[in-house]
Amino acid sequence: MTGSISTSWLLSSPPNSKSNAISKSISFPPRVRLSPRSPLPTTQIRAGIRELRERIDTVKNTQKITEAMKLVAAARVRRAQEAVINCRPFTETLVGILHSINQCAQSEDVDFPLSNVRPVKRVALVVVTGDKGLCGGFNNAVIKKANLRVDELKQRGVSCVVVSVGKKGNAYFSRRDDVEVDKCIEGGGVYPTAKEAQVIADDVFSLFVSEEVDKVELVYTKFVSLVKSDPVIHTLLPLSVKGESRDVNGECVDAMEDEMFRLTSKDGKLAVERTKVEVVERPEMISPLMQFEQDPVQILDAMMPLYLNSQILRALQESLASELASRMSAMSNATDNAVELKKSLTVAYNRERQAKITGELLEIVAGAEALRGT
Amino acid sequence: MTLNLCVLTPNRIVWDSEVKEIILSTNSGQIGVLPNHAPIATAVDIGILKIRLNNQWLTMALMGGFARIGNNEITILVNDAEKNSDIDPQEAQQTLEIAEANLRKAEGKRQTIEANLALRRARTRVEALNMI
Repeated sequence: MTGSISTSWLLSSPPNSKSNAISKSISFPPRVRLSPRSPLPTTQIRAGIRELRERIDTVKNTQKITEAMKLVAAARVRRAQEAVINCRPFTETLVGILHSINQCAQSEDVDFPLSNVRPVKRVALVVVTGDKGLCGGFNNAVIKKANLRVDELKQRGVSCVVVSVGKKGNAYFSRRDDVEVDKCIEGGGVYPTAKEAQVIADDVFSLFVSEEVDKVELVYTKFVSLVKSDPVIHTLLPLSVKGESRDVNGECVDAMEDEMFRLTSKDGKLAVERTKVEVVERPEMISPLMQFEQDPVQILDAMMPLYLNSQILRALQESLASELASRMSAMSNATDNAVELKKSLTVAYNRERQAKITGELLEIVAGAEALRGT
Repeated sequence: MTLNLCVLTPNRIVWDSEVKEIILSTNSGQIGVLPNHAPIATAVDIGILKIRLNNQWLTMALMGGFARIGNNEITILVNDAEKNSDIDPQEAQQTLEIAEANLRKAEGKRQTIEANLALRRARTRVEALNMI
């Protein structure tokens, strides 16, 4: 039946006045010309009317889903950012006290297990990935960076062990035989909490203290902006006693200048406002009269795990924020693609529908002519 | 004259208001803090924190950290803190049993260290429930 429609379509130079009205609808651009707006490929979508209609419905449903996922991810990005902000009081207080205690304990020759610098023969890499998919190139970017680092270290003769956090990373590393995997940790619920950070910290702590590894590095994605996220590598252990966060080359990468993002609506569309979060200057942490209940060594010993925990938690939260941001942009692209696809499907559908109507009309007219003729 | 207590964990502020007295477990034993205490800095062990507000005691399980007692201002930084009202008794008991089992089958220095820590934490949570 499709064949007959196409032939009648091709023959449709309007035969008589009755079909003049129809001719207007028939005489839209011929098949091969590309309309300026949508770059339709020259291979047309050839399918029956019913199939086209089903496809249009499917695309419409998919579009609704991707749109919803984008909005959910957008709402969660904000909350993830807020979680990062909530971390601040802890980290600030900790760093402040660390500084002061360091000054008091400068003279002593202290040696903490966690800031022990040893010659590096084995490195543990903690790789933070996401649990769910549909987030664009997020997981792949982190895994690629981790792979590069493993190869780099292998070239230098340093062996590597991987602690993978997140289902996607777990799946990847458990398939790879040439990379040694120490542990696969699943991410917790929706937002990372201190408990998950504790699990990772325990693992890393015992690896380092029992001298199975000499250095621990953290591979995660830093949340730069809503459209940009960077996988970075930070050195987690040994800790620098000053309490600053350092990256692989020993440069200080403390994030004291954070921006908070707010998703607001402007002219009915989502827009992003950035406000710089001010670092609140807290009053002097330790008064000179302060006594230490225990040895300063013991006290610093108690504070290092705290610092380790907060670093890990922060990395988890930033990773989550960048995963959500890339999911948001991936879903937004998917929605746009769905809209375009629906448009081209609708055009094809209308064409088929009109061709069918034309065919029927022509048959009727031809039949009527034939009857009149006899 | 009341003490201002601030209990901070890496992901949230657990307590930030005034109290009458606290009892804290440190590495070198328990210390009680009343208003106008001398300023000290101490490490906090995995244990129970008791808070008194108007003759009513509240317990909180702390998972190790640091405390700074200043001018009627106490700041406690811990890895994790749970109020006893937030702990589910059955779940805490189960976690304790799992931790004990893990310790028994731990081999090697590393696993023993991990298992020990987990056991102490689970035990603290169960104790926080029992101590009201």
